[in-house]
Amino acid sequence: MAPGCALIRYAQLAGLVMAAGLVGCAGQSEFVRLPADLPASVELADTPFHPQTEHQCGPAALATVLGAAGRDAHPRDLAAEVYLPGRQGSLQPELTAAARSRGVLVYETGTTLQDLLAQVAAGRPVLVLQQLGAGPWPYWHYAVVIGYDRDRGQVLLRSGVDARLEQRAVVFESTWDRGGRWAIVMVEPGQLPAQPDLPRYMQAAAALEATAPEAAAKAYRAAAEHWPDAALPRVGLGNIAAGQGAWADAERWYRAANANSPADAAALNNHAESLARLGCTTAARHALSAGVPRVAPGDPLRPALEQTAREIAALAPTTGRAEPATCDQFTSR
Amino acid sequence: MRNRFFVYVLCIALLNLGSPQVAQAALVGTSQAVAAADARAHDIALVTSTLAREQVREQMAALGVDPAAVEARVARLTDAELRTLAERMDQMPAGGDALAIVGIVFVILIILELVGVIDIFKKA
Repeated sequence: MAPGCALIRYAQLAGLVMAAGLVGCAGQSEFVRLPADLPASVELADTPFHPQTEHQCGPAALATVLGAAGRDAHPRDLAAEVYLPGRQGSLQPELTAAARSRGVLVYETGTTLQDLLAQVAAGRPVLVLQQLGAGPWPYWHYAVVIGYDRDRGQVLLRSGVDARLEQRAVVFESTWDRGGRWAIVMVEPGQLPAQPDLPRYMQAAAALEATAPEAAAKAYRAAAEHWPDAALPRVGLGNIAAGQGAWADAERWYRAANANSPADAAALNNHAESLARLGCTTAARHALSAGVPRVAPGDPLRPALEQTAREIAALAPTTGRAEPATCDQFTSR
Repeated sequence: MRNRFFVYVLCIALLNLGSPQVAQAALVGTSQAVAAADARAHDIALVTSTLAREQVREQMAALGVDPAAVEARVARLTDAELRTLAERMDQMPAGGDALAIVGIVFVILIILELVGVIDIFKKA
C-alpha cells in the first residue's frame, strides 16, 4: 500500500518533535488556563470510529462526527462527495457542505481551545484540522477530538488509524494552531451548541436555508428563543416564510425583527418589502421613512435598502385601487 | 485562452442578471444579513456567485472529480463557500496530502533515532 494517511502516526511524531520546539518558544499553553467550570476530564467513548484509508482522513473524520450526530454515513460514500484527487485530500468547505446536506447544522466552534473543548464537554465530538508537519513540509490532517484530560495534559482523538489517540495538549494546540484553529461540530437543528455565538450560529443556520429550509427554520426558532432581542433569527424566519410565498407570516417576523432592532437594515428592508408585497404600499413607505434615517450611514446593506426604497417609491402611487383592508392594521399604529 | 473563457463566463453572468433569479433581489437574504451584522466581514456579495460557481466547477473537474459528481458538489455550496473555493481551491489546506514529504520526515526521524538524538519510537 502506498503511504498516505496510514503513515499518520509517524507524521504525528514529526509534528510532535517540531511542535515541542515551537511551543517551547511560544510560552504558556492554553490548556493550563482553561476555566475552572470545564470538567476535569471528558471522553466521548460512544463516538464511532472509522479508520481512514489512504488520503481519506477527511471522509473518515466526517463519518465519525456525523455518526455521533445520528447521521450514519460510510467514509467511502463521503469520499465521493468531498475528496479531490488532484489535491489528494479534502477541503474544509466541502466537508461542511457534505455534513450540511445531511440536515445538520455545522457550527464553527471559535478559535480558542476553550471554545473547542466546551463542545466536547457538552457531548459533541469536534472535527479539527491539524497541520502535523512544519515549515516546508506541511501535512494537513483531519481528526476528531473526543475528549481531554486536564490533569494529564492530554487531548483524546479519533485520528487516522488510531481509535483512541492520546495526544499531548501542547502538541495538539500547536498543530491545531498551525491548521488555522478550524474546528466544527454537528448540531441537530433546534439545539444549540455550547456557548453559542450569534453570528457564527446564524451563519451556520443560514447556510441550511437554501437546501433544507425546515432545518433552518428549526435552527432560527431555537435562536429566536435563545436571543430574544436579536433581529437576525427573525429575519431568517421571515425569509423562509417569504420563500414559501407566505408574505403575511413573513411580515410578522420582519416586524418583530424591526421592532427589536430599529437600526437593522435587513429587518427594515425586508419588512418594507413584505408590506409592499401584501399590497400595503403606504405602510411600506411609512416604515421606510421612519426607519431609513436610523440605519448607520456606512451600513453595508444601505445600498440595498436605498434600492428597495426607490422601488417602493416608484410603485404607482395612484392606481385607483384601494389598498387591501388588512393594510389598515399597519398604518393605524 | 483563459481570458477568453472568463469573458464568456462574464457574458453569461451578465445575461443572467436579467433572469427571474433576481426577482427576490429586494429581500435581503439571511446570509447577507448575517454577513452585514458581522463586523469582521468585509465584502457583502449582493449578487449571485455565477462566476464563482463556474470557476469551482472548472477547478473540480481539473482536479479529477468525477464529472457526474461535480454538479451535485457545487450545488450544495453556499455563495460564501463558492467564493472561497473559487479564489483558493489550489492553495487551501487539503487534509490528507503531502505523502512523499512525510516519507522524508520519517527517514529523518529514523536517522535521528538511530543516531540517538531522539527516542520516540519505543511506543510503537
